[in-house]
Amino acid sequence: MTTHALKSAAAPEAERPAALRRGPGPLARAVDTTLGRGLIQAAAVAVFFAAWEIAVDAGWLTEFLVGAPSGIWRVFRASLMDGSLAVDTWYTLVEAILGFVIGTALGSLAGLGLWYSVLVARVVEPFIVAINSVPKIALAPIVILWFGTGFVSKVALAVSLTALVALIAAYQAARDADPDLQALMASMGATKNRIFRSVIVPSTLPAIIGMFRINIGFALVGAVVGEFISSQRGLGHLIYNASSLYDLNTVWVGLFVLMFVGFVLYHVIDVVERRILPWRQVSTAGGIQV
Amino acid sequence: MDPTPTPDSSADPKTAPVQLALRGIRKSFQAKAGPVPVLDGLSFDIHERDFVSIIGPSGCGKTTVFNVIAGLLEPDAGTMLFRGRPVPGLRGRVGYMMQKDLLFPWRTVLQNVMLGLEMKGTDPREATDTARRYLAQFGLGGFENAYPKTLSGGMRQRAALIRTLIMDPDILLLDEPFSALDYQTRLYLEGVLLDAVERFGKTVVLVTHDIDEAVALSKRVVVLGGRPSRVKNVHAIELGDRSPIGARSDPRFSEYFHTLCGELDIQTRAGSASTARAEAA
Ligand SMILES: Nc1ncnc2c1ncn2[C@@H]1O[C@H](COP(=O)(O)OP(=O)(O)OP(=O)(O)O)[C@@H](O)[C@H]1O
Ligand SMILES: [Mg+2]
Repeated sequence: MTTHALKSAAAPEAERPAALRRGPGPLARAVDTTLGRGLIQAAAVAVFFAAWEIAVDAGWLTEFLVGAPSGIWRVFRASLMDGSLAVDTWYTLVEAILGFVIGTALGSLAGLGLWYSVLVARVVEPFIVAINSVPKIALAPIVILWFGTGFVSKVALAVSLTALVALIAAYQAARDADPDLQALMASMGATKNRIFRSVIVPSTLPAIIGMFRINIGFALVGAVVGEFISSQRGLGHLIYNASSLYDLNTVWVGLFVLMFVGFVLYHVIDVVERRILPWRQVSTAGGIQV
Repeated sequence: MDPTPTPDSSADPKTAPVQLALRGIRKSFQAKAGPVPVLDGLSFDIHERDFVSIIGPSGCGKTTVFNVIAGLLEPDAGTMLFRGRPVPGLRGRVGYMMQKDLLFPWRTVLQNVMLGLEMKGTDPREATDTARRYLAQFGLGGFENAYPKTLSGGMRQRAALIRTLIMDPDILLLDEPFSALDYQTRLYLEGVLLDAVERFGKTVVLVTHDIDEAVALSKRVVVLGGRPSRVKNVHAIELGDRSPIGARSDPRFSEYFHTLCGELDIQTRAGSASTARAEAA
């Protein structure tokens, strides 16, 4: 009854500033639990596939051109049973992860390293911008030429797609690091290396980890496009082959598995972020709804 | 640490040897419309074990002086002598508490406070003990593992002050260290600061907007004024008891207070300067 009393007392004050009254309503708050959200999401997926299947059955869509959920499921089960799907997924996953790790590490280190010398940074900046403005996927034929049609060329392609993104993100973050914190360290007599370790690295971590999310996507693009061009294995190979045979259901299997892989990797980064950046989760204004 | 001071040097700042001398420091900043002069040939001395307050209107260049002393800004002209020897700045010799409570957001309170000890290579266990002791004394016990973002402004300021004191440098540069605190905490921490610098024989240079605080804590007060700034006057403060409360109850306290108020007034309201002077006298 206390709440009731409070409510009626507050009622005449309906003209309060909007910011104080906003936030989710009672229904939104009741549904907004892990279970509630999961149910809504599952329902959305079910409706989508059911509509697709019905549309194909009714003849509104041609299965030949768009595939059908039932067919996709059959292909999925068969390729899972004979182990071919696992092999293809494994190839693409390893290519992408290796490309991601190598490209991101090289790029981040180079980008952070540019913090050490304003001169070098200024000299190389136009070159970085120029190289970055080339759609890097256009390099794919050359990369295949240089690194062959095997595993290495896919990794190389993923590296070429991720390295420059990492470099630019790391360099910008290092440049934006709080000058006052650096000044404070300098007044304590800190060396440049010390400032790098104690200020630059930790303050660029949020941006660098944010860039991981983008680069996971790029690494997958590199691996898959490499497989499109020439390969015997991998999800890109699976998709490319199937589409040239008009086997749409197999194409969809490849796409959904890719989606799943990207989704999982994205969440792995979320976990890494929470572990590495606990201080980002807190704030005195943390619980305020706007 | 202090090689030269005579035993009674802390008693009379005028007889203590000069630790840091500023001579004709000039500094201007580049603005769109051209250079803006801020410091116009600043000269003053800081003695061994001195406690000097710098007061002056907002924007007169107090923080700039600190940045020059700390070796973060190069003056356009002028020299600094540290114990008689010309130095470009005092990097590594000062504990600088900046005007904004500058804590490392990714470090906990304990880790923030330990920064200086870490840099000196103090044994981690010993450093942790020292840091915990300071935190308790400054009313931050129990917040060792909190991140700065979750602290109040006053708590952040205290953490920044501890970080500066704990390093045990020759000279402490404190830029408005108590501005975010309530009066009670402020008096308490003023006492803690006085005790600490007295006990360890430190030199303190304090920037404050609080004339009351300047008189209560300082041995000398440097008044800056004009545009660009020069040293208007240096006042020796001689009070019997230099504790926050004791000093404020000394009969000479209000005399100093009025003199300094009058002196600051001159720059803002030229007309009332003479009346303020007359009142003070
Ligand atoms: N990096 C800078 N670039 C340009 N102008 C600056 C810079 N730093 C300070 N100034 C100018 O120099 C003047 C003095 O600044 P400073 O911060 O030293 O003042 P202050 O006496 O500490 O003021 P307050 O009491 O408000 O802290 C101001 O007018 C300010 O605008
Ligand atoms: Mg200032």
